[in-house]
Amino acid sequence: MKVKYTVLTLLVVLALVLSACGAQSQPAVVRIGWLSGPDSLNIGVAWLGTAYTISGLTYSTMYRFNLDGTFSFDLGTDVKRSEDGLVYTFTIREGVKFHDGQPLTAKDVAFTYNLVMAHEDFPTLHSYVDTFASVEAPDDKTVVVTLTEAIPNIESKLVYLYVFPEHIWKDHSDGEAATSFENLEMIGSGPFKMVEYKANEFIRLGTNKDYYGGAAKVDEVIFQVFQNSDVLVQALKSGQVDMVTSVPNTSVQTLKTDANIKIVAGAPFSPDLTDIIFNTTDPENCPIADGGLCTGHPALRDKQVRLAMAYATDKQKIIDVVLLGLGEPGIALIPTGLGEWFNTNIRDYEYDVDKANQILDEAGYKDADGDGVRDMPDGSQPLTFRLNWPNTQSTYPRVAELLSEMWSELGITLEMQVVESDTLTAQCCPALDFDIIIWGWIADPDPNTLLIIPTTDQIPTGYNETGFSSARYDELFVKQGVELDLDKRREMVWEMQAIVHENVPYIIPYYPFAVQAYRLDRFTGWKDSETKVALEDNSSLLNIEPIK
Amino acid sequence: MNRWHYFRNKAGWSLFTLIFVIVLNFFLFRVMPGDAARQGIRDPRLTKETIEAIRVRFGLDKPVINCIDSLNPVRFGSCSVNPLDTQFFIYVKNLLKGDLGVSFYYNRPVSDILGERLWNTILLIGAGQILAILIGVFLGVLAAWKARSAIDYTALFTGLLAWSLPAFWLGIILVFWGSNHGFPIGGKATPGISSYPFLTQIGDIARHLILPTFTYTVIFMGEYTLLMRSSLMDVLAEDYILTAKAKGLSTFQILKDHALKNGMLPMVTLIAINLGYTVGGVIQIEAVFSWPGLGGALFEAVSRRDFPILQGGFLLIAVSVIIANFIADLTYSYLDPRVQTE
Repeated sequence: MKVKYTVLTLLVVLALVLSACGAQSQPAVVRIGWLSGPDSLNIGVAWLGTAYTISGLTYSTMYRFNLDGTFSFDLGTDVKRSEDGLVYTFTIREGVKFHDGQPLTAKDVAFTYNLVMAHEDFPTLHSYVDTFASVEAPDDKTVVVTLTEAIPNIESKLVYLYVFPEHIWKDHSDGEAATSFENLEMIGSGPFKMVEYKANEFIRLGTNKDYYGGAAKVDEVIFQVFQNSDVLVQALKSGQVDMVTSVPNTSVQTLKTDANIKIVAGAPFSPDLTDIIFNTTDPENCPIADGGLCTGHPALRDKQVRLAMAYATDKQKIIDVVLLGLGEPGIALIPTGLGEWFNTNIRDYEYDVDKANQILDEAGYKDADGDGVRDMPDGSQPLTFRLNWPNTQSTYPRVAELLSEMWSELGITLEMQVVESDTLTAQCCPALDFDIIIWGWIADPDPNTLLIIPTTDQIPTGYNETGFSSARYDELFVKQGVELDLDKRREMVWEMQAIVHENVPYIIPYYPFAVQAYRLDRFTGWKDSETKVALEDNSSLLNIEPIK
Repeated sequence: MNRWHYFRNKAGWSLFTLIFVIVLNFFLFRVMPGDAARQGIRDPRLTKETIEAIRVRFGLDKPVINCIDSLNPVRFGSCSVNPLDTQFFIYVKNLLKGDLGVSFYYNRPVSDILGERLWNTILLIGAGQILAILIGVFLGVLAAWKARSAIDYTALFTGLLAWSLPAFWLGIILVFWGSNHGFPIGGKATPGISSYPFLTQIGDIARHLILPTFTYTVIFMGEYTLLMRSSLMDVLAEDYILTAKAKGLSTFQILKDHALKNGMLPMVTLIAINLGYTVGGVIQIEAVFSWPGLGGALFEAVSRRDFPILQGGFLLIAVSVIIANFIADLTYSYLDPRVQTE
């Protein structure tokens, strides 16, 4: 034991001495702390947003998705759309090189798009080429994309199609070869290149000095995984990291008192929402063939009941208690972070318990047996609903408690239970074996991914979790998907939100803020006042420089 | 002859347990509700066709075993399928070849992932266990020797306190303290240290080990102290100890030659059990210090329905428990020859 200790002590001293020596000629290294690293460096098979973050730093794409919600050219320099809206001819930058020195040409772009098209087993990436019919590269700087239908949102389809080098991926393009490729070297053409990767520990990215957009002013960016958010905050406070991509709301107050730390809060890069899901499914429309059970409480099929519950939901109180104020009240499925797609005309149901009670009285839901709980108009059963939420979110239990309090004022009781998230998926959809669920969605740059959720076609697939069905909504969804006129499309998207809001299949309590923080004494130039908060984005990492 | 028979008997049971675990491991995780092909993720970008393609990629489209297509929900299928074309027998066949499969989530071979993680966990558990055993046994012996004295009560109190400390809480306290005193609080090594000389790297890992190892040691040493104390006090009350005293042996000699060997018996059992359980029990310490160990990998895999990682990981734990117990059984027969004749 003695020998062991002595050796250990010696090593510690040695390490301290050596690390102190090295400190003088250190290159500028930005250390970023986050809660989870990418699941794979092969973006084709990846699921996590963090994999997209890293790919965004190491690869180039046709368009770049900016923090203000707009798109701008990255590799592209010009685009021409055919009369019928089906053929896009892109011209791309010349002289772009991959990290290994090989030139990037239109052939690489076409190769990549074709690769993704051929791989239906790429879980998230494949969805971006769903309307692609063919992609060709007639010469080194021209890419021709032909679509199956005219769509208004080609930019949003291209922002995540990271251009792979054909000379590397051609050996990893067929079937299993593509899905089992780990892509550890991550050769791309973006502003940063892979230096070292330790799965679930850290990623070291070096600056690409030849980057066509101007090289970063730092030498290296390190993303380090901290599995616990309180420890992550402590790492920032003690200076072990320079920036953290997420701060728990509970730590905001204490961090504010630290003069060396700045907190940034606002809409996340991929805006998200928390939704209270009502099972409105009529047993007649039950997707039995897909495993539908449709055991929802009959009262929740009545719009008046849902409306009363909406009036009795104090969203601001939920935000203040659960998020400590770091969020904004929700309206429909489109979060404010999606910019112009968010319908600013809708006036939300104002918190009014008396009005809510009045609605229920008028609809005939009386407390027939005098037990303090309202009953169905026919007296068959009380308004006692099952309320479930997944175990993955620490905020949901508090939301549930508050809802129980608020709705008890209406004579509604809840049977609350947390459920393991995959089990809840099995219960939820398309089984529709629940009354009310608290859950959430994350948005894509284009509103389509969220708009598709309440369509009738998505009941059997399980994405339409409420079982909501409206012919007008379905019609609008199809129409806006091929409307090339931006203003007309926006009008339809706004109307769709109004339909959802009016029928109350959901109550959207809030759109939570992203909360990040950085140290003021290490680097300057963080983009902290953009529309959306993402300090780990290219926009910040290409701009920051060390404080001398 | 006797010893050989005892060995064979124990080895046979170990093998039987192992086969049982292999079978159970496969079916247990498939009984959980949920869809492994979508990893617990609900994303409108995932179409039905994509989920089907992923299912085919991982072989999840094949029946679980003859007559049964899936376990949750239970769906019966054809009994006439070729057994070699069912998920269970493909799993067994690959296992016999030493192939643990590919993680659904990381798309990497399970043996690679678990291999990295296992070494990290062994490093943490190894350092922690050795310290905990040494300190625990030392305090336990000291307490039993000086029974009902101030030393005993101090050791007893320390042991109880250490044993009842939640690992998570102690870890967080150490994080707050350590981060202000220059200790690294996350990970196994400083990112970028790999370009430094070997000795620097070792030193860096050692620095990262200090706080988690300390937590581990404190949490486990209490249990050892208490058990060692009570076990040794029982032994010290035996008649043959009185005989030894009457022969005029010094207290140290009595402890060393007569009491300790017998007093260690329950300790061996506990250590063997702990070695198996700590892989899972160390999860909390791993989570606080972001230690990339086995516990965390398994915890993540459960929520993602990553069957290959779960099967491989639990097999690994089962094997280590079985081996630890097997060794413990053999150690008994050495410490107490009566065991093998029973």
